[in-house]
Amino acid sequence: MDISVITDTFDAWTDAALGWISDNGEWLFEFVRSVLEGTYDGVLWLLQLAPFYVIAIIAALLGWRLINALSGVLAGLAMVFCAVMGLWTETMSTLALVITATILALFVGIPIGIVAGFVRSFDRFLEPVLDLIQTLPPYIYLLPAIALLGYGPATALIATFIVAMPPAIRLTSLGIRMTPLEFVELGQASGLTPWQMFIKIRLPFAIPSVMAGINQSLMMAFGMVVIAGIVGSGGLGETIYSAVRTLDIATSINAAIAIVILTMVLDRLTQSAARRAKGGA
Amino acid sequence: MNAAMNEPSEVLVDCQSVWKIFGGRAQAAVKAISERGLSKKQVLQEFDCVVGVSDASLQVRRGEIFCIMGLSGSGKSTLIRLLNRLIEPSLGKITVKGKEIARLNAAELRDMRARNIGMVFQSVALLPHRTVLENAAFGLEARGVAKDERNRTARAALEKVGLADWTSRYPNELSGGMQQRVGLARAIAADPEIILMDEPFSALDPLIRRQLQDEFRQLTKSLGKSAVFITHDLEEAIRIGDRIAIMKDGVIVQVGTAEEIVTKPADDYVSDFVAGISRIHLVKAHSVMRPVAEFKSAQPHNDVNALLRTSPEADIGELIDLTMQSDRDAVAVVEDGTVVGVVTIRGLLRGVAGKPAG
Repeated sequence: MDISVITDTFDAWTDAALGWISDNGEWLFEFVRSVLEGTYDGVLWLLQLAPFYVIAIIAALLGWRLINALSGVLAGLAMVFCAVMGLWTETMSTLALVITATILALFVGIPIGIVAGFVRSFDRFLEPVLDLIQTLPPYIYLLPAIALLGYGPATALIATFIVAMPPAIRLTSLGIRMTPLEFVELGQASGLTPWQMFIKIRLPFAIPSVMAGINQSLMMAFGMVVIAGIVGSGGLGETIYSAVRTLDIATSINAAIAIVILTMVLDRLTQSAARRAKGGA
Repeated sequence: MNAAMNEPSEVLVDCQSVWKIFGGRAQAAVKAISERGLSKKQVLQEFDCVVGVSDASLQVRRGEIFCIMGLSGSGKSTLIRLLNRLIEPSLGKITVKGKEIARLNAAELRDMRARNIGMVFQSVALLPHRTVLENAAFGLEARGVAKDERNRTARAALEKVGLADWTSRYPNELSGGMQQRVGLARAIAADPEIILMDEPFSALDPLIRRQLQDEFRQLTKSLGKSAVFITHDLEEAIRIGDRIAIMKDGVIVQVGTAEEIVTKPADDYVSDFVAGISRIHLVKAHSVMRPVAEFKSAQPHNDVNALLRTSPEADIGELIDLTMQSDRDAVAVVEDGTVVGVVTIRGLLRGVAGKPAG
């Protein structure tokens, strides 16, 4: 038998399966799509409500409160720089994409991580799944998403969501498992109920790790959001993608700089927030 | 002294032949022990299980401070955790306030831990994100006591340990000794009858440690609490404990008062331990005195009635002072108006050297 027959058959099956899924699950995908795009539009609307200098001032204030005055000034200037390059709208839609995808990833990832932190067997089952998600090239996640949700931000969001979720799960689960033994004993010896033990002992000790997970998720989301430019995510990713296609190197470099700036600002802010959580007092 | 010393008072914690065996085949090992009476070594060989606590029996009475002294690996930390069921016993019966704790369900056990048995840890285990006051109120918070009331109780407990001015600080602002005081305040705020102390002062420097030992004893006695106090330091056990149990390899080798342990060690292990202990305040006149007749025949020129007098409970330190005050080199021990014996310099030296008369 010719080998190509096998691949042709497989392709035909895949097509048929995808066709069947999109025909029969259309309501579902429509629903997912409208939820995703609705959230995204909402976040974007919020971000665009204020002019660029207000956002820059907010970034500066956060930098000042969370790190120090110099970082505050730098964060503010960095945001102004994005606007000066004429990429403010794109920067904000990228930020909206990243925020939306990360929030979704945290909404799903943190509860899963909490369960995994308590149930050892579930954690052992998750481990290889998360390894697989993180091993495959992030590009892959665009394929099923575009087949089912079509061209646009919803596809970008789903793919980004998938990539951003594993660190949130892993670090939450780690944080829950890593409660120092003496505090578990304290809880038991004080007669805590399992719920009290979770809220009063395990969760507070897990917070630094969870915060680190949030930071990691955010960074993964940034990486993916650029790639998702291919599927019409909008924002800086798409700017880079179309600039590269038209060999408009200057614009693509501008957009790349804007992404680096945005990433660095958010990374610094969330990392120092995580450090604060660790510091406790 | 107090009533607890004279009449046998209520037994709060009662351990009867308790075993704890760690390992995958603990169940089978337990069966073999109860059927064939295996030794610790045999259990390890046959079942690859480690015996943590072996056939331990002890009673803690109301108002008593009971010390468990042993080196690391002796099973003392396991034993104390059996008393509030942080560790489940493999065999044997533990009764707290008349209730067998192995039979309590989860809610009853929580209630017993929250109300009857407090615990203080070597690592202190103060929650770093809570203030001193919130830490001290933790046990009450677990029990669902309203905020105002639990803060009032916790503040009173912090006052008792001398930390009234530190309520709004965080644990990392406190020294080690102060942190352990908060640990103690947290335990007494919940007002339990029994406090389990798991090597609470081991990590502190010697001066602070002595201070806390004295404070702890005083506080426990004045509040009328019972305590089980784990330590690897015999001097600490002697300072604090009304009675002391010595543990070795999971076995309780000897139980007794400090004087009993120092003057009549049960075996070589215990006598090695007590060898370096100062007897000045432990050995009492009744254990170093000689009969009056013997003294008269040995020193006929010395008039018993002219000697300075003391009670049988006077310790070596007091006897030395008395001997130095007189020129007769002996002190008469008097009970109920009659001279029951004489302590000579020879007797004093015997007592100090740990070789009781006899």
